[in-house]
Amino acid sequence: MKGTRKTIFLGAIAALAIAGGLAWWQVALPGPLAFAGGRQVDLATYRGRSPTGVPSELASADPLTKGRYLTEAADCQACHTAKGGKPFAGGRAFKLPFGTIYTPNITPDRETGIGAWSDAEFVRAVHKGIGRDGQRLYPAFPYASYAMLTDDDVLAIRRYLASLAPVRQANLPNTFSFPFNQRWLMAIWGALFNREPVFRPVADRDAQWNRGAYLVEAAGHCGECHTPRTLMQAMNTRQKFAGGAAEGWNAYNITGDQVSGIGAWSSDDLVSYLARGHAPQRGVASGPMAEVVALSTGRLTPSDVAAIAAYLRTIPSIRSSGLPAMAGPANPVASQGPTGNPHGKRVFEQACVSCHAWSGKGAVSPFQQLTGIRAVNDRTGTNVALMVLNGGGSAHSPGPYMPAFHAAYSDAEIAAVANYVTARFGTQASNLTAASVRELREQ
Amino acid sequence: MTTINVNGQQREVKVDAETPLLWVLRDDLGLTGTKFGCGIAQCGACTVHLDGAPVRSCQLPVGEIGNKPVTTIEAIGTTPAGARIQKAWLDLDVIQCGYCQSGQIMSAAALLASNPTPDDAAIDAAMAGNICRCGTYVRIREGIKEAARHG
Repeated sequence: MKGTRKTIFLGAIAALAIAGGLAWWQVALPGPLAFAGGRQVDLATYRGRSPTGVPSELASADPLTKGRYLTEAADCQACHTAKGGKPFAGGRAFKLPFGTIYTPNITPDRETGIGAWSDAEFVRAVHKGIGRDGQRLYPAFPYASYAMLTDDDVLAIRRYLASLAPVRQANLPNTFSFPFNQRWLMAIWGALFNREPVFRPVADRDAQWNRGAYLVEAAGHCGECHTPRTLMQAMNTRQKFAGGAAEGWNAYNITGDQVSGIGAWSSDDLVSYLARGHAPQRGVASGPMAEVVALSTGRLTPSDVAAIAAYLRTIPSIRSSGLPAMAGPANPVASQGPTGNPHGKRVFEQACVSCHAWSGKGAVSPFQQLTGIRAVNDRTGTNVALMVLNGGGSAHSPGPYMPAFHAAYSDAEIAAVANYVTARFGTQASNLTAASVRELREQ
Repeated sequence: MTTINVNGQQREVKVDAETPLLWVLRDDLGLTGTKFGCGIAQCGACTVHLDGAPVRSCQLPVGEIGNKPVTTIEAIGTTPAGARIQKAWLDLDVIQCGYCQSGQIMSAAALLASNPTPDDAAIDAAMAGNICRCGTYVRIREGIKEAARHG
């Protein structure tokens, strides 16, 4: 009897220790620059060129130009604009596992926007995720990243937003259910996962790297999509940039891994992709990343794009099991492909081949290459199907363009052609069904 | 100023490098045999040959062409495959309204040049992207086979 009690007691201690260890593992995540090693210092004591603010090309620009540049670097517009809506007036829906959240109006309208906010309230919201009335904001607003923006830069963004024409457009309530509708819970989340409130450059790295770090971690908030999340929905910095999700799209591994990441990309590839949305032989920025290029990275100065590329090339490699080595060239002869997919071939020959070619090398311009492209070599097929559904770019302006096929083909046809494309031009066939395409349509 | 080789001639055009070849052909060079259909490379009416391969000219920026030769419907009859396709088209009265047919002939001529005896599957693979609202598909298939027989 005594022995049983002792066993139960020891078991309970062990269970508590394991639970404590797991909780600690969930909470004690490395800081965003911890991977770099070296000594992080306060901005005030950093000796190199300041990594914050605007780049040297804009040093003598007027305050509004600087504010606009930083607003673009932080890519505020993409999220704070409804599809087809007025810029910065909010209303864009983000469908999350707990419900739908709508971004708010950040134009200077006094009733529906942020015109009546004080500067201090704006800075508090951007840094800490606390709304004007003290309510806690959901971390769909990337304040865990924006916390690292300097006060000066946040105020420069504030000045620019205040210069826009006010748009009267009421905010939409989110549809979160209990317990996710309890905003106060976000105070706990913020206390646990938004603990590094300032950007601290690494003294042992050069000015370009630190500028890149500021742009990637604080302004560009790349990790919000490209870093996987923990159970607690924090960015899992132990898997920094190893791939996450954005509005249903896979946001791929951008670590230095040669196979799964961007380790094989040259600096020119990265610069071309970020500045123009396309890197030869690597692919076209699509879905949410196309918006990032259009509204943010494509508007940055060459020195800033180069700094982002230089910084990204130092991210430690992480191999993703779902992203194996890419397939080589494809057979240029028309066929049903290795999986024998007549339905997929039928759609491909009707709608795809005139641009992409049976070889997958592209028939019209380098934008249409399918071979060697990450999305095509992703066995989920998710991004291929979303690309077929939504297309990308515009037929009436330069740059990559693909028509949207959501109205032209059924769920089953889109699943078939996506499975055909991954099988024929990628490493492994995807296994999408009509049901999975229906879900993607709703993203 | 951009220089492109069209139907064996060097032509100079004063257009932005992003301008689709279709508009350079039609508006700047007066070669109106190539038709505008959908503008998004989905119908095939604008098909021309770039270095012998069929290309949708509505989506091809003129700056991408470089020194590759362009052949349009106006000159396809000077190639052996093109001449045979045109003769078969006339012999079988393939054409109905005709709007899509310069594109059909360009795709068919490219197919015949690369595959002198195409079967139905090869014809489907090469021609499925060329749409015909009159539904002349059966005669198009026959026309290609007729041209192949006279190769």
